[in-house]
Amino acid sequence: MRTIAFVAQAYGVFCRRPAAFWPRCSQSSRVHAKAAIFFLFAHGLLAQDPIAKGIQEFHQGKYDAAKITLEQVLKRKPGDAHARTFLALSRAATGGCDTASNDLYDAFTNQQDADLRRMAGLALVGCHLAHNRLEAAVPVALALQREFPADADVLYEAARLHMKAWNDVVFQMFQKTPASYRVNQVSAEIFEIQGRYTDAVAEYRKAIEKNPAAINLHFRLGRALLLQSHSPEALAAAGKEFEAELKLNPSDAVAEYEVGQILLSENKPHEAAPRFEHALAQAPDFTEALLAVAKIRADTKRYDEAIPLLERAVRLEPANESAHYNLMLAYRNAGRTADAQREKAEVDKLKRPPAGEFTEFLKKLGEKAPNQ
Amino acid sequence: MTRLALLLAAFSAAANAPQLPDFRNIAAQAGLTDVFPNGGTASKKYIIETTGSGAAFIDYNHDGLLDLFVLSGKGGTNRLYRNDGSGHFTDVTREAGLTSDAWSQGVCAGDFDNDGFTDLVVTSWGGITLYRNVEGRRFENVTRQAHLDQSRVRYNTGCAFLDYDNDGKLDLFVANYVKFDFATTPKPGENPYCWYRDLAVSCGPRGLPFDRNVLFHNNGDGTFTDVSDASGISKPEQSYCLSVLTGDFNQDGRTDIFVACDQTPSLLYINRGDGTFSEEALLRGAAFDENGKAMSGMGAASADYDGDGKPDIFRSNFSDERETLYRNRGSAEFDDVTLAAGLTHNTRFVGWGCGFLDFDNDGWKDLLLANGHVFPEVDRLKIDIHYKDRAILYRNNGNGTFTDISERAGPGILERHAARGVAFGDYDNDGSVEVLINNQNETPSLLKCAKKSAGNWVILALQGTISNRSAIGARVRLTAGAHTQIDEVRSGGSYLSQNDLRLHFGLGTASKIDRVEIDWPGGVHQVERNLEVNRVVTIREPRR
Repeated sequence: MRTIAFVAQAYGVFCRRPAAFWPRCSQSSRVHAKAAIFFLFAHGLLAQDPIAKGIQEFHQGKYDAAKITLEQVLKRKPGDAHARTFLALSRAATGGCDTASNDLYDAFTNQQDADLRRMAGLALVGCHLAHNRLEAAVPVALALQREFPADADVLYEAARLHMKAWNDVVFQMFQKTPASYRVNQVSAEIFEIQGRYTDAVAEYRKAIEKNPAAINLHFRLGRALLLQSHSPEALAAAGKEFEAELKLNPSDAVAEYEVGQILLSENKPHEAAPRFEHALAQAPDFTEALLAVAKIRADTKRYDEAIPLLERAVRLEPANESAHYNLMLAYRNAGRTADAQREKAEVDKLKRPPAGEFTEFLKKLGEKAPNQ
Repeated sequence: MTRLALLLAAFSAAANAPQLPDFRNIAAQAGLTDVFPNGGTASKKYIIETTGSGAAFIDYNHDGLLDLFVLSGKGGTNRLYRNDGSGHFTDVTREAGLTSDAWSQGVCAGDFDNDGFTDLVVTSWGGITLYRNVEGRRFENVTRQAHLDQSRVRYNTGCAFLDYDNDGKLDLFVANYVKFDFATTPKPGENPYCWYRDLAVSCGPRGLPFDRNVLFHNNGDGTFTDVSDASGISKPEQSYCLSVLTGDFNQDGRTDIFVACDQTPSLLYINRGDGTFSEEALLRGAAFDENGKAMSGMGAASADYDGDGKPDIFRSNFSDERETLYRNRGSAEFDDVTLAAGLTHNTRFVGWGCGFLDFDNDGWKDLLLANGHVFPEVDRLKIDIHYKDRAILYRNNGNGTFTDISERAGPGILERHAARGVAFGDYDNDGSVEVLINNQNETPSLLKCAKKSAGNWVILALQGTISNRSAIGARVRLTAGAHTQIDEVRSGGSYLSQNDLRLHFGLGTASKIDRVEIDWPGGVHQVERNLEVNRVVTIREPRR
């Protein structure tokens, strides 16, 4: 019994290249498993224990062999939860999701060992996806994300699930409502992500033609125009679209802010200022608007007015580099050297290279935050 | 009566309209017919093919006429063109001893041995080369004798002579871009840093290792000592450094160093006066743009664009970024005033060489920058960003703002090239500043204004006696009429290039110069009064 427990801890070291959707062993389990496996080999236990053998075969990617070994174990010990879990994992890995799903679910909900729970959950999501059971996959993925929020495999499977769901619905939209403005809108959004801004602009225009009163179309068109070009003509055209959006939705703080930005680019700071003020009045927690208004104050040396706005921006978004940077400069210009140094330290901290570049990609997508 | 009034009004408006220049590219007629290779033309495999090379205006033979020096990438040679004095230049590279076969990057000039002849440093991927000017006849490679050999291959970029300790001998600062070699650098598309808008392109600088900047102290006996660590210059090692711009930005009498850096914070080394520097760009507001974002800084230039008596800094950046104008608040604390100055709309260009020049001699420094994308592959996208692009000319309105007059400034501005290094100098001493541009894989451009500018002018040729002979670091304050201007003699600058070491001032309608004050790096404060206009005036540092 002790041997089995030890083997269960040790499975990580055998991790091989996973099958297409196969979960990797976690790094921590790999580390402590090395010692355990050495122990098992040294004592000849691995050869004697069929459960250990089945698990080893599983981790070596010999799923068919693992299935046979573990099925034999379960004939002798039908209540062995580890053997059942690894048999289910082996079955799932070889496309036997139908026979594996119940045991995977059972392991995912009842296993004490977190790593096994994780592996069972990931395999279960994979099985549901393979059989197009999205509704069943979603709660498992969400539970996995809750328990393993920084696990790359978990996040990858969740992303795959959501992408599949998105693809299915879009396909359905194209099939069932091919003439709707939403089809043009979603086409435009796809083109935008692909960097095909001219195509995106054309699709947004078609969508607007079909539904001139739809909210957010003019905003997206304006943004696509700005992504396409920075010429004065593009700025003017985008400005018109943001203004059109504001006619439909006067409380759209982001559209108001974009108008302000365009006016600034056109060197019209006096016209831009009230637009930023209005955007901020509409959405007091809109950090970019806070920054814009603060900068206008700072430009006219009204640091005592700029600083509270920037301090608020920093409180709202502690990781906002621009907010910290502008607060640092405002403190400096106001003669508050110690505060400026403190903010400089914050900027230095935030400027350290990120762990990954993917956040930059997400930023470039430029989606509106839900609360704006 | 009404018609007459309208006519008079129209005449008055035309008379008051600012003069537009008419820049023409006269390179071919001036004899600049050599093509300067610099990597691929349709695609580039390595970053070394993208950064291009500088150019210089120097008077190497001391005849009072500026000569031209243009750097080349691998496969060509750097070339020295002697000014024949008739608007024509003759290639004297071979007899001058300047033939090369390297990935040359930057050039800076200064009389490091104070013998009265301007010497040259050329940086390249591989190392730096110090060419000693032998009595204006030829150059001698004295790199090894001067102890400027480097222990390993470096991607040296911008350079500048400066006298950081004010001992009368020119020291040398050299910026470094990345650690690069052909064997280990990934190929286009091989990692996420090798893509641009879905195009597989040359990799870097992101993803490539940083290198440190270097400061050499002039020992006064023809040798230099690497003082990078002792001076604090070697830290931080976290920026991809390109252009070097020296200047006394905090106006304390000591030369500071600004370095424009690519995709990383630009650097501002403040000279502490004890042989050390502290890098303070962030808190001084010169590291990032107004949003706290690092730009892809390429070139850098300095002038007192707003006439407040403090040197400001301009930096050229990448496409999808604004250019950056930093206004000096005093004491080298800067505000990003790009928006307020009206420099916001040219975001489709990748800017390189840049400089302040007073093309209309109205006493306000205008701004020119040359452009061209890093990646030739960008042309496949058929968007408004091009590998070869035109230059930009901003006219200084004299009120803290600029107006983009590029489209009306003559065909020379509108020609499209993959431009890199740009140097400014008045090669025919007619009071109108010419522009030398190094174009990748093409002949250089030599822009000359076809219209004579209306304003008066003066060129000050400073000569150090106690201070270094080139007067590098000398600060000038010139008053003509009600208008006072400042400038400083600089080595290096723009993008890896060397401008005329003499200082050009437009004087507008002023018919004499009331006062010229010079603060020499050696500490002497000199005042000259009532100077004539429209000429080159040589001023020697008085011996104490």
